[in-house]
This record gives sequence, C-alpha cells and structure tokens, in this order.
Amino acid sequence: MRPIKNIICRLFFFLTAAMVFSPDVVCATQIHGMPEGIYVHQIAHLFFMISMGFFIHWLRRRQLVKETGWRYIQYMAFFFILWNIDVFFLHLLDEQLGVIQVNLIDLTHIRIQSESRMRALEIFYYLASLDYLFCVPALFFLNLGLSHLVSENHSQTAVSMRSRSDDQ
Amino acid sequence: MTLPFLPIWFVNLLGSILMIILSFMCLSKIVELKKSDESNVIWIYLFWICCGFIAFAMSRSIGHILKWHFLFSGSESMWNIIRPYTGAVNTLMFIFVASVTLFFERIWKIHQQVIKDKQALQSAHQELLYLSQNLENLVVERTASLAVSESKYRRIFEVSRDMILVAEKDGVIVDMNPAGYKMLGFNDADRDLKQKRFNNFFASEADWKSIISSIVKKGFVSNYEVTLKCSDGSDKRSLVSGGMDNSPPEKDDTIHFLVKDIEQRRLIENQMAQTEKLASIGQLSAGIAHAINNPLGIILGYAQMLIRDEDIGTERYADLKTIEKHVKSCRSVIEDLLSVARSSPTARDSVRIHEIIDGVLNFVEHHSELYHIKIEKDYDMNTPPLLLNEKKTRQVLMNLILNATHAVGKSGTIRLSTAYNRGTRDVTIAVADTGYGIEEKNLSRIFDPFFTTKPTGEGTGLGLSVSYGIIKNHGGHISVDSMPGKGATFTVVLPVNSNGAGDKG
Repeated sequence: MRPIKNIICRLFFFLTAAMVFSPDVVCATQIHGMPEGIYVHQIAHLFFMISMGFFIHWLRRRQLVKETGWRYIQYMAFFFILWNIDVFFLHLLDEQLGVIQVNLIDLTHIRIQSESRMRALEIFYYLASLDYLFCVPALFFLNLGLSHLVSENHSQTAVSMRSRSDDQ
Repeated sequence: MTLPFLPIWFVNLLGSILMIILSFMCLSKIVELKKSDESNVIWIYLFWICCGFIAFAMSRSIGHILKWHFLFSGSESMWNIIRPYTGAVNTLMFIFVASVTLFFERIWKIHQQVIKDKQALQSAHQELLYLSQNLENLVVERTASLAVSESKYRRIFEVSRDMILVAEKDGVIVDMNPAGYKMLGFNDADRDLKQKRFNNFFASEADWKSIISSIVKKGFVSNYEVTLKCSDGSDKRSLVSGGMDNSPPEKDDTIHFLVKDIEQRRLIENQMAQTEKLASIGQLSAGIAHAINNPLGIILGYAQMLIRDEDIGTERYADLKTIEKHVKSCRSVIEDLLSVARSSPTARDSVRIHEIIDGVLNFVEHHSELYHIKIEKDYDMNTPPLLLNEKKTRQVLMNLILNATHAVGKSGTIRLSTAYNRGTRDVTIAVADTGYGIEEKNLSRIFDPFFTTKPTGEGTGLGLSVSYGIIKNHGGHISVDSMPGKGATFTVVLPVNSNGAGDKG
C-alpha cells in the first residue's frame, strides 16, 4: 500500500508544479465579461422584488396584516417592490440597453438624451431617477412597523407580568 | 433634453441621509425587541433583515454621496474606480435581504411551534409550582382524610358486635376484632393470635373444608351455618360469610370473614317451638278432657246413686266404691289437663311470694321425710307483693319442691331463692336441687303432658305441664337448667303487676 501512496503523492506534486510554471488557456473555465455585472444586478433586483411579493403574500395568508405593526411592514415590502421596478427600468434604459445618455451640464442642469429623441422617455427617466421617493418610505414604514411591534411587545409583557403576579 | 438637476441632487442627498438614519432606527427597535426575548426567532429574523437593510442603505447612500462629490469635483475617474464596488455590494445586499425574507414562512412556523411548546411548558411549570407550593398542605389534607378513613373503618372493626376475622387460606388468623375474641370465649389476656387457626374452632372440619372450597371456587361464601367450639368447650352456632381479598397491600391472598353468633336466636326459636308444641298439646288435651269429663260425671253420679242404695260392707258396695275412687282419680287428671290449657283469667290477689314458699315448705316437711335434706333459703327482701292466684301458685311451687325432693332422694340440698329485678320489673323464683339432674335428651320434653321419668304408677307426668300452664297464665315463664349428675334448677319468672301493692315486700 505504501509505494502506491507515494506514487500518487509524487504525481500530484508534479502536475501542480506544471500548472503553476507553465500556464495556458483553460477552456473549461468561463470568462466573465463586462455585461455580466449588470445582468447579476438586474436579476438581484428581480429576486428582491419577488421575495418582497412572497413576503406580502405570507403576511396576508397568516392574517398578520390585521396587526398594525405587521401591516406597516407589509407597506415596506410594497414600496420596495415599487423601488425595484423603478431602478430596474433605470438600469435597463441607461446601462443595459444604452438608449439614454445623461450628461451634467453645470451644477444646476443635466441633459437627458434618448436615442430616438423620445421626450416622454426622457421625462420618465428623469422622474425615475428620484428612486429615493420609494426606498425612503419603505424604510420609514419598516421603522413604523417595528415601533408598533415594540409597543405591542411592551403591553404584552406588562399583561403577562401582571397575570404572573396575580398567580403568585 | 435639459432638465433641472437640483431636485435629483436634493432627493438623492436627503434620501441617502434618511436611508442611513432610518435603517439605524430600525436596528435600534429590533435590538430592543430582541433584548426583551432573546429566544424569539421572529425578532432574530427581523434583526437579520434590518442588518441587511443597514448594509444596503450604507453602501447605496455612501456610494451616491461619493458619486455626486466626485462628479462635481471633476474627479469622474475616481468614481469609475469605486462604482463597481458599490454596485457589487448593493447587489449582494439585495440578494442577502431577499434570501433572508424568503425564510419568513419557515421562521413563522418555528415561532408558532415554540410558542405552543412554551405555553405547554408554562402550564406544566404552573402546575409544578402549585404542587410544590401546596404539596405540604396536600399531604396534610390527604393524611388527615386517610386517618379519618382509617379511624372510621377501625371503629367499625372494633365496635362491631359480630366477629370480623382476617385469615390466610390455611386458616392462620391474621387479625380478629374484640367481638371475635369475646365470641370465642377469650379474655383480654388471651388475645395472642400466634399459632391460632380459625379452622381449629370449627366443630366439624368438613364445614371448614366446605367454606374454603366455596371461597376458592366462587370467591365468597354467604351465611354458611357452622358450630364453633369456644375456648371454654361450649358450642356456638354461627353464620359464616367470607370473601377472598386479592388487593395488593396483602402479601398473600387473605380471606375476610364475618361471623354472626346465632346461638341465642336458635335458643329462642327452640323455646318458641316448645311453646307452640305445648300450646298445641294443651289444646288437644283440653278437647279430649272436655269430651271425657261429662261421661265421667255421669258415671260418677250413677256410681254414687248405686252406693247410696247399697249396704255398707257388701261386696257390691266395695266394687262401687272402687269405681267411684278411680272415676274421681280420672276427673283429677282431667282437671289437671284443663289447667294446662286454660288461659282464662283467674281470680288474683296481692300475695307475698315468700309466705307462699314457706307455707309449701311447711306442708312438704309435714308430709315427707326431709330430715336428711338440707333446705337453703335465699330470699330477696326487696321483692314486692305479686298479683297472683295464690292456690295455683302454691300448686306450682308444690310441684317444683316435691320434684326436687324426689330428685335429691334421701340426702342433699334444696335451695330456694328469689330475686327482684327492678329494671325488668319481674321476680325470679329458683328451685335448685343437688339431685341426679335431667338428661339432655329429656330437657326439651320435660314440660310435655304425660312425660315422666318416674316408674309407671308413681306420676302422671302432668305436674310440670300444669305448672307451665299456670305460670304462662300469669304472664310469666318457667325454664329448667340441668347438667346430668349436678342437679337441676327450675326458674320461674313472674312479672310484678303494676296493680299490685307497693314495691317493698
């Protein structure tokens, strides 16, 4: 058994050394070019949006939305869906499809140009750039929902403490 | 198309700042929730969501602030260097938050299960707490109720008038109540159960075997009549009921017996049977006597008429006198028979029983040879006068004393005693002798008409029957107690009638 083990170890050592000292193109490995980054980012937006959709579905199925705290958290998920849609189209227009060109003219003006000179698309892009109008309310509702959960938790703790003291 | 940049810049800057502030506010809330219950999986879940949002808000907001800073300062190349990193971090954060969010359903189920288990644990805890707090009281209560129960059943065992006995299958007595000791004739000093077997108290071993066989087969025996031999040698008829006890506290199968003493009941039943027998015989005798009495009267009348016409000294006169004598004798017997059965009220006077007894003794002393017979008298001087027919009472006492003199023979003792029982308001007159006594087989027939142990021609066998009838007619009763060779005692009990004189005799 021992000679076979030695042979395998030596073979492994020589192969590793050959790969390090004599590199070449390895066709089995896929090369990641520039567009993959934007695809990953867009898929992440879609994944985020779908997960938020499922979240709303579960909250409603469990009837948790009857409680104020969880209802606000549901709104958070809704605003994040809107935000994801918004930024998905932004990335689609300027980075993926490249149909929109944005240039900073000076400190107070920007130029938004579409390839086909579609004014509506340019205005849509301009408004869509204000995406914080979706993600800030989302976090605001999350904060509001958690505040309610905190206060509900406090009241429940007080009730249980009272009932425990009554028992004693 | 040229558009104002300020709104975009303002919204981006303010939004970035607000994102950071709000995400940290959310974190502070969830930390507070988590602190209130470290094990709550929902709070842990929301904590990780908030962490994801903080990272997302930080990377995005800082990235945007830097973007506008570099663009305004003309360092676009710097922004181009940082841009891929902020974008990559943003992407990772979306994926992280989205991934964590997808665990909500599973986390919620775990949370519900935890709550359910917690409630079950809490209820068990409450129960345990109650038990631990009240264990002492519960034990005290249970012990007290157990003691009360034990005392109650012990009292039933101790106070029972019937024998309660616990024995093993081979008859070894495990426990027996005081009534049992009393029934079997043991005194307090003899209450040692060692080596005592219940079957040894059975007059017949077959009875014990039969009882055990029934208990083994059916599990019980009910009202089985046996005769128990008491420690003093006397027999006691009893009803035995018993059942097998297979309860766990007993190390082996034991039998619980309930034994009822029916000796007294049987004696009373015998007495009642005797009374009924005598009453029947009396009625029969009275009927016969009444039927014979009239013809005898006619025979006597004609015999006396013929005597009157006959000369004294002739043979015919002597024959007629013989007829007259025997007819009179027959009439005397008939009269006695009628006395046995007669229950009609007779004339009664207040009499002093001691005077009657003394009178009878004087008569007997004059007509019999009592020189070698010792007469003992033990009168209760508190005996009140009794409402009696003096003549018939005298007849009874005469019968009893004459029987005693015959039983004693030439020498012996006759003891005459009286006793007044204030409780039952009756007077007991006892005539005891030291003669040869009465055999047991004759005791039940001693008061039967025409029953006699004397040789033929010496007694009619009506004396005690007549006495019995007279005493019954006075509302009293007469009994005999005798052991062969040890004499006999006749006891007459007469009621003190309230119509009589005062209590003092």
